[in-house]
Amino acid sequence: MDNLSLAPPVQSALIVTAPKHEHLLTEIESSDINSMGLVIRAIYDGNEHQKFMEKLDDRVKSHDKDIERMCNHHYQGFIDSIRELLQVRSQAQQLNTEILDLDKRISLTLNKVIEKRDELVKARKVESNIAAAVDSLTMCLPVLAAYAKLQRQLKDKRYYPALKTLEQLEYHDLPKVKNYRFSSQITQQIPLLRKNIKDASMTDLRDFLENIRKHSPLIGGVAMKQTEEQLEHEAEIIGRKKRKAQSSTSVVDGEEKLSAQEFMDYSSVYRCMHIYSVLREGDTFKAYYRQQRQQQARLVLQPPINMHESIDDYRHYIHGIVGFFVVEDHILNTGNGLTTRSYLDELWSMALSKIVNALRTHSAYCTDAILILKIKNLIMLFSTTLRNYGYSVGQLFDLLQEIRVHYNEVLMQHWVQVFRDILDEDNFLPIQVHSQEEYDKVLTSFPYEDEELQKANFPKKFPFSPMVPKVYHQVKEFIYACLKFSEDLNLTQTEIDEMICKSTNLLLTRTFSGCLSSLFRKPSLALIQVIQIIINTGYLEKSTKYLEEFVSNITGTPHEGQLSSGGLKSAMFRVARDDAEKQICEKLKQKLDEFLELENYDWNLAEPQGHASGFITDLIAFLQSTFTCFTNLPAEVAQVACKSACSHIAKSISNILVSEDLKQISMGALQQVNLDTIQCEQFAASEPVVGLPEGILLQEFAQLRQLLDLFMSLDWPTYFHDYISESSKYNLVTPQMAVILLEKLRESDKKTVFSVLKKSERDKKKLLETVLKQLRQLAQTTQQ
Amino acid sequence: MAKTYDYLFKLLLIGDSGVGKTCVLFRFSEDAFNTTFISTIGIDFKIRTIDLDGKKIKLQIWDTAGQERFRTITTAYYRGAMGIMLVYDVTNEKSFDNIKNWIRNIEENASADVEKMLLGNKCELTNKRQVSKERGEALAIEYGIKFMETSAKSSINVEEAFFTLARDIKAKMEKRLKEASNPPKGGGHQLKAIEPQRKPPSLFSRCSIL
Repeated sequence: MDNLSLAPPVQSALIVTAPKHEHLLTEIESSDINSMGLVIRAIYDGNEHQKFMEKLDDRVKSHDKDIERMCNHHYQGFIDSIRELLQVRSQAQQLNTEILDLDKRISLTLNKVIEKRDELVKARKVESNIAAAVDSLTMCLPVLAAYAKLQRQLKDKRYYPALKTLEQLEYHDLPKVKNYRFSSQITQQIPLLRKNIKDASMTDLRDFLENIRKHSPLIGGVAMKQTEEQLEHEAEIIGRKKRKAQSSTSVVDGEEKLSAQEFMDYSSVYRCMHIYSVLREGDTFKAYYRQQRQQQARLVLQPPINMHESIDDYRHYIHGIVGFFVVEDHILNTGNGLTTRSYLDELWSMALSKIVNALRTHSAYCTDAILILKIKNLIMLFSTTLRNYGYSVGQLFDLLQEIRVHYNEVLMQHWVQVFRDILDEDNFLPIQVHSQEEYDKVLTSFPYEDEELQKANFPKKFPFSPMVPKVYHQVKEFIYACLKFSEDLNLTQTEIDEMICKSTNLLLTRTFSGCLSSLFRKPSLALIQVIQIIINTGYLEKSTKYLEEFVSNITGTPHEGQLSSGGLKSAMFRVARDDAEKQICEKLKQKLDEFLELENYDWNLAEPQGHASGFITDLIAFLQSTFTCFTNLPAEVAQVACKSACSHIAKSISNILVSEDLKQISMGALQQVNLDTIQCEQFAASEPVVGLPEGILLQEFAQLRQLLDLFMSLDWPTYFHDYISESSKYNLVTPQMAVILLEKLRESDKKTVFSVLKKSERDKKKLLETVLKQLRQLAQTTQQ
Repeated sequence: MAKTYDYLFKLLLIGDSGVGKTCVLFRFSEDAFNTTFISTIGIDFKIRTIDLDGKKIKLQIWDTAGQERFRTITTAYYRGAMGIMLVYDVTNEKSFDNIKNWIRNIEENASADVEKMLLGNKCELTNKRQVSKERGEALAIEYGIKFMETSAKSSINVEEAFFTLARDIKAKMEKRLKEASNPPKGGGHQLKAIEPQRKPPSLFSRCSIL
């Protein structure tokens, strides 16, 4: 540059044109091709291109000089550099060999490395494969384990866990291992397994149902037994005040026992239920179960054909039912809704009505009181047991009431025989005792107090016959028997009391009286026996108050409540007594009739015999001795009997007189009848029995007497005059009777009286006709 | 009025208590037997109509109490009786011994011409027999009366006994009626004889007249 800077001052000398070229040169050297145009133009514009050419040559010369100088300057350096370069070339060759050598060695080493690397890669691959396999296996193993478990459970018949496992398998395990073939196989098997399980559990259930049917009676028996023990236990608790220690030991006993339902294994039901509910077929199962059980119920409720024959059959029947319902109750409580309360209630009410019907029908056949008692106890226990299990048993109590009525009937049937035997055996003689021992024996069997008898010497004689203590005893027995049924029946004392009174009443008014009635029909029964029976019933009647005490002692009802029934009770023997009294009259009448049949009046008798007819004398003698002998007959009975006897005699004699068989009566015969009647009247007036108002027996003869008086005196004017008047001497004589008798007299007159022509006779006859006419008129008016 | 019978005979049964008078009577009247012993109190009677040689005969048989305490009542009936059955029990020595006393009783209380008969009852009880048939026969012969062993229970000889007694009474009565009608004593009585039924009622009263 120094050159350049030096140049200008050299040129400056050329004058003013020189700077301008300088500038252009610089411009060419420095600027780019674009400015070339401008430079050339500037040159051409100035016409100085010569000058400029010169200048340009100058410039090239200057530059060449520079280049030369520079080459000179750098030559040495260049040589050195070549030299150095040559040196580098050898060194480079050396280096190259070295490098080649090195490369060879490296390659050798690397080959090994690569080999290892490949191995490594392989191993890594294996490793990862193994890990994957392990993972898969870990995933599959639980499935398989579950499957194995399932199989095992199936084998062990643990169906519910099996089912659970199955479910787990299906929804949890298997989806994870879908890709495996075994998984799909298992999946395919699942429905089949389910079905198997279902079937198997159903088989189990069937077994259970079969078993339960077998075991039901046993369970029922145990349940009833437990109830019985419990009842006994309760009874003990009530009476524990007395014996605390004893009852406390028995408490322990009671608690240790299994409850009835535990005798059965219900697991199969639960299992089956679980299984079905897991299978979402719970409802089907419930329906199936209920249907099965209903069928079983029907079977259980079918009573054995000859159930009424023995208590064992009843027991079996009842146990079966109890067992059934105990089981159902247990199922209800533990079965998770297998059964419902309403289902069970429905079943029970159906069963109850059937049971009631069956028991009613069968017990009605029963004629054995002891068996009925057993049935009753069984029913009681049955109802208590089922009540304890929460069943309503109201109907059974109604049934028991019915059975009770039947029981009483049976008892009465039985007592008919008892009474009959007593009556058959009885000698109807007063009991005679020869020693204090015998005396006491009678007194212990029958309440009787008599100071005189107490004081009397042996042999003593009771007023009644052996039948009295026996009947008394039997009535007591009957009451006991009645009571037996009421035991534990939870009746109030008043009810029991009422029932006993009613039954006892029936027994005596119907059964006992019935036996007496049939006794009365026996021809061998003599009057005196009937009398003894009356006396006996009198004493029995007196004993009713002891019977009342006896009843109230048993029932514990205060005596006041008995008063009302006391009135009833005296009526108990009343019927029998009335019957016996009627029998006395009847028997007496029969005897009288036998006498009267011996009547042999001669109706054409002209003159009376002057004394009574034989049969009347005999009859009266018989009546007299009879009434003297019957000193121990109760006064009123004797009175009634005597009155009826008199009335019967009077009526019979009247009947003979007005009888249609008798066509004619002579005056003499009528007078004979009058004589006989007088005989009877004498008897009536002789006070044959004490205590009758005077003249009352004679009244029985009044009509006959008036009739006879009228015909003896032929006091027709008075008869017609006083007719209808109350105070008439003949107010009891009806015109009809008078007509009949008068006609008979007339008939007799026709035959016997020959002197019709006699005036007095003619008048007499005329009078008779008039009287007859008058009487007929009267008779007609009274008839209208 | 038609008569139901031709004759009425009153018979009497006597003997110790328990010999079976009532049973004999019961067998005869009802053809039945009652095992239970029921002592007769006072007096009772049964009537049975029997047919004898075409005659209807009513037998009114009085059954007396054997017990001593009724003696006054029963003896009253002796007088009216036309036939008396003396009954003893073949199993009871005492009752046989007492027949003597009963005969004395009859002699004291009954009419002299009463028909009597001796009955040894309970002859079916062979094991318990205490009185042999021969002794009974001997006693009957001693008193000049008929004898039979009977059994009310087994119905042995009961009918026969009563029929025999009735036949004897009938024969005796018919004989007396004949005697009464044949000697011409009184026409009024003749009428009575034809009417036999008049007889029985009068018998009772006649005894008292005698």
